[in-house]
Amino acid sequence: MSNDDATVALLAAGVLDELDREVFESLARMVEDTDPVPAGLVDRIGMALTIEALHADVAELRLDGELALAVRTDETSIEAGTITFTTDVLTVMISVHAEAGRVRVDGWAAPAEAIDVELHQGAEVISTISDDDGRFSFVDIERGPARLVLRRLSEPTVPVVTPQIEL
Amino acid sequence: MMSDDLVEPVDTALRDQGDGLADQAARAVLAYRAGDRGQLAALVQVMTPLLWHTVRAQGADPEQAQDIVQNVWLTLVRDIEQIRDPRATLQWMLVTAKRAAWRSVRRSRDEHVRQAADENATEWLTAPVEDLPDSVAVRSERDQALWNHVRALPDRCRKLLGLVALVERPDYTVVSQALGMPVGSIGPTRGRCLGKLRAALDADPTWSLS
Repeated sequence: MSNDDATVALLAAGVLDELDREVFESLARMVEDTDPVPAGLVDRIGMALTIEALHADVAELRLDGELALAVRTDETSIEAGTITFTTDVLTVMISVHAEAGRVRVDGWAAPAEAIDVELHQGAEVISTISDDDGRFSFVDIERGPARLVLRRLSEPTVPVVTPQIEL
Repeated sequence: MMSDDLVEPVDTALRDQGDGLADQAARAVLAYRAGDRGQLAALVQVMTPLLWHTVRAQGADPEQAQDIVQNVWLTLVRDIEQIRDPRATLQWMLVTAKRAAWRSVRRSRDEHVRQAADENATEWLTAPVEDLPDSVAVRSERDQALWNHVRALPDRCRKLLGLVALVERPDYTVVSQALGMPVGSIGPTRGRCLGKLRAALDADPTWSLS
């Protein structure tokens, strides 16, 4: 065994110390800086898990017509517009307006009844209840990917989830 | 909405975790079964970076890697009632991620659709020595010295140390075993890989003087 081998063997058998800890901290920083976890990945996973958790009862919504709101995330403008989602049990129309760098979402669901509406953005959930005509709105909302989860009070165990849209 | 600068606090939270990820994962699985999804949501934040780098270290490109990591989480939730030993959750997720990455990389190579050079890949943890960059994201001369010695280690040692560095001591064994390294390759003693690195660092005045 050469001196080098003996040194390595001795160090290998040693207990981890402060210097090893420092080595790991530097190494972890290099790994994170060199190849960072993509922005938004954690949020997207959180959202996917939320949808998955609801999935047993989910009616996936189909998009009607042009996806006017689906501006790309790398564009700075927000397109105000209206989109409609439909399922067998519910039709939802929403319109989005820019308001001082943030957005306002107005929606209407039919057939008309009181509906519990959640706006999911990443791990954040904001909820409201529609009026008896099925109208609801969210104000002062951050831009970014979002989706709605709607629960009819007449059928609370069958939520309706919209595809993700870019507000 | 959660901001995009989540990476830093997540990383800090991950390293400051008093007990290990394996314990936290076990608790999250049990809570989820009991109807509390909050703990799993928190786990996604602290464990996703480790899964990401595990997948990237197998050579998966960024698009593949994002899909793989998300799928590992979805598979966990779909099979969550079938997990017999919740304490094995971390190990299972790491092994699942690693195998999915292998399959994905092999498929890409078969289809000859490898992306253009992807310089940021955590692949540098495992790339052949002649393909390694001279420097990665180093912040100081001391980092550069460390990188020079890490570069000189065998592939498997680079991968082991690069991933173990992301977790706390209670998880060293799980991470190394998931990588197919023998028990005792790191912790409670340094093991060969860290031993070699320390020998090189101890002999390097650039490192030891600072």
